[in-house]
Amino acid sequence: MSSQPRSSCRSRRRLGRALTAWLLAPALAAAAPPQRIVSLVPGLTESVCAVGACARLVGVDRHSNWPAEVVALPRLGGLDDAQVERIAALKPDLVLAAPGARVVQRLQALGLNVDTLHTRSHQDVRHNLLWLAQRLGDPALGRKAWAAIETQMAAASASVPAAMRGRSVYFEVEASPYAAGPGSFIGQTLAQLGLRNIVPEALGPFPKLSPEFVVRAQPDIVMAEARQVQDMPRRPGWASLTALQRQQLCAFQSADYEVLVRPGPRMGLAAQQLADCLARLAGEPR
Amino acid sequence: MSAPAARRRRLAFGLALASLLLLCAGLAAGGEGWSPAALGELLRGPDAGLIVGQIRAPRSLGAWLAGGLLGLAGALAQGLFRNPLADPFLLGSASGASLAVVVVLAAGALGGHGPWSGVGLVAAAFMGALGGVLLTLLLARGAQHTLRLLLAGVVVGVVLSGLSDLLTLAVPEALRGRQVFMLGSTGFLGWDGCLLLGAGLALLLPLAQRLSRLLDALVLGEDSARSLGLPLPQLQLLLVGLLAAATGLAVSQTGLVAFVGLAAPHLVRRIAPGPHAYLLAASAATGAVLLLAADVAARTLIAPQELPVGVLTAVFGGAYLLWLLNRQRGA
Amino acid sequence: MATLQAVSLQVALGGRAVLRDVSLELRPGWTAVVGPNGAGKSTLLRALAGLLPLRGGQVLLQGRPLREWSAVQRARKMAWLAQQGLQGGELTVRELVELGRLPHLGLFGTPGPQDRWQVEQAMQDTECGAWAERRLEQLSGGERQRCLLARALAVGAPVLLLDEPTTHLDPPHQVSLVRLLRRLGGQGRTVVSVLHDLPLALQADRLVVLRDGQVAACGAHDDAALHAALRQVFDHALRIERAGSRFVALPDLD
Repeated sequence: MSSQPRSSCRSRRRLGRALTAWLLAPALAAAAPPQRIVSLVPGLTESVCAVGACARLVGVDRHSNWPAEVVALPRLGGLDDAQVERIAALKPDLVLAAPGARVVQRLQALGLNVDTLHTRSHQDVRHNLLWLAQRLGDPALGRKAWAAIETQMAAASASVPAAMRGRSVYFEVEASPYAAGPGSFIGQTLAQLGLRNIVPEALGPFPKLSPEFVVRAQPDIVMAEARQVQDMPRRPGWASLTALQRQQLCAFQSADYEVLVRPGPRMGLAAQQLADCLARLAGEPR
Repeated sequence: MSAPAARRRRLAFGLALASLLLLCAGLAAGGEGWSPAALGELLRGPDAGLIVGQIRAPRSLGAWLAGGLLGLAGALAQGLFRNPLADPFLLGSASGASLAVVVVLAAGALGGHGPWSGVGLVAAAFMGALGGVLLTLLLARGAQHTLRLLLAGVVVGVVLSGLSDLLTLAVPEALRGRQVFMLGSTGFLGWDGCLLLGAGLALLLPLAQRLSRLLDALVLGEDSARSLGLPLPQLQLLLVGLLAAATGLAVSQTGLVAFVGLAAPHLVRRIAPGPHAYLLAASAATGAVLLLAADVAARTLIAPQELPVGVLTAVFGGAYLLWLLNRQRGA
Repeated sequence: MATLQAVSLQVALGGRAVLRDVSLELRPGWTAVVGPNGAGKSTLLRALAGLLPLRGGQVLLQGRPLREWSAVQRARKMAWLAQQGLQGGELTVRELVELGRLPHLGLFGTPGPQDRWQVEQAMQDTECGAWAERRLEQLSGGERQRCLLARALAVGAPVLLLDEPTTHLDPPHQVSLVRLLRRLGGQGRTVVSVLHDLPLALQADRLVVLRDGQVAACGAHDDAALHAALRQVFDHALRIERAGSRFVALPDLD
């Protein structure tokens, strides 16, 4: 940066400093909090913003849409068809992805720093918030964000009418039908709200059920996206579900539904949405 | 020089030229669509080494090489089965590779991150492709009867697909990765991939050409080929082995890209037919040009978004076959 | 000594016995194998060429059992022409006929002057030299058949096994073929052709009559006993009459 050295002594010192800086650069880079972040998982995008590093995001995946600031960021594809060149061109010093994505190895081969985080359960979300906050420079923000979620969840749980507690619930994640099991973050929220899941834990977090299983289990409450709920009576045998007959349904519009199925800092909001629906159902005559 | 030989010369020249042009075009295709101006700027800036050297160049070359392997495999398959509708995925290589990919993804999902992702995926796809073909050979008890081979390939394909489906039901995290694999993608090609593909092509093409007279003789029928003293069972086995290796290599790097293996030998036969000594190399070159063109188009058509390259090859291939059918109906 | 001998051949296809105890001696000259449909003519030719597993008996080539010959040695001694045609037409005529040199060149050998001469000779004999550089798909059925015949001739083998060589050929070319087969037989080659066309078959030196997988009769073209056997095998639907120095078969409508 400076002009020519005044003496050979000074130039040697400068060389020495440059050499040390070059040798220590990797360690230094690891120590300094990342300033340019790419997130390929919507839940992680929201978590990064929740720990106060939203301004440091330089690129997100096509599904990330909250908070409003990230909408204007470059969209880099999904987790499995991430655009390697555009990611590299953004020169991120941290890329967040999910484990097992093929893009991870490619980006690492290009010399980028990639961290993979699970987002399957409440524990994962908590871990991610704390870890990200630590990584991005302010650990307190992570604890605060998680505490906020916990508070919201407790409030939501408290607001569930006593009549609804202990009721069985079927939460549909996809029309095939894929359900949210007790081990998933959705299932854990439902459990916190005092509901019983018709899916046994042994089937895993998001099992594909046989439609007959759902019909036989006769859930008290059915929760799904509004579009799917409309089709349910047409499914063979489903018209016999008492929950459908008695309209004990939580049909969520896509914007609300998205909050429910996104494991991130808005889980408290998701719990509240669920609690509101339950309160609404309790208000209706049986 | 006779007319057919002259046409072959012209095709060879055309393919070489197209390859060169497309490889250069591939360097200019990127986040801003196809833009030589942007390329110029890039080359002058500090990012040239990374963007052009580490991403665009190996991706373009890799697409060319993978297309070459698929074109070669397609010509081998069509020669082996004496059927212009044969494609390299007929013998269970596609379903084998897909199952192996799902197994690795599922293991990765169940066991957390691990040594499984990345390199494991490439190796698994290759071994899976070879495994699928081996299963087909075992079921057909050798490569001797092509009808039996074909049927065995169908059976193996269905069974392995079913197993794959079962696994993705049990471990849904693998479903997404499998769908991407099935669609095909050139986006993950780096220099290590190019090295593998290049070495594979350099090894398999000359080997395949040694078998070109066998493929020509098969035009007379298997019995006639045998009556000419050719040790058919062993040679057909070798043929299947080369087919499996070429397909497995391509699939392990780019996933299942449709139609390149089917269309490349077709195009060669339509433009400048000839004996297999020429057809194998020409199919490889045509396949290379096809996949590279699809890759460049995938990067530029809806930039900054990317189309999956498999969609483009399917559209081109489907359109070509429709045109072919139409021509025959009119003729 | 007979060039080619079948000794108590038994061949079964798909569980069904097709050849039952066939014994034949084939000497230099042109022998035509005739018989009604399903008699086992093509199967016999295949068995002689060593292309079928035998349930019983053996085939002797120049006195030695076939299985003692290596595939390449056998290919150089016996050329076989299939009844089915081509499965693809991108090769040129010359490239097709050159395939006949495979027993001598193998997969990797380069053609030498002997190979080129054989190929030219074969194309001349079958009158398809005029379109040597044309692709097979551009030719008619009859023209293609002559090229396939040239391919068999190009092997230069002393034994020629031809299954229905007259398929698709029009009368002038059938006559040329007959002349060619006679000439080859005269040169000392052992030519065995399956022919369903009786008038043409009667132009051969010897005939073998097959019925239901067995040899009903075997003799020279002018052998009266052979003629009687022919009439019987074809259910008296024809009669054999002399025409000059040869015999012809005519439908018997009475």
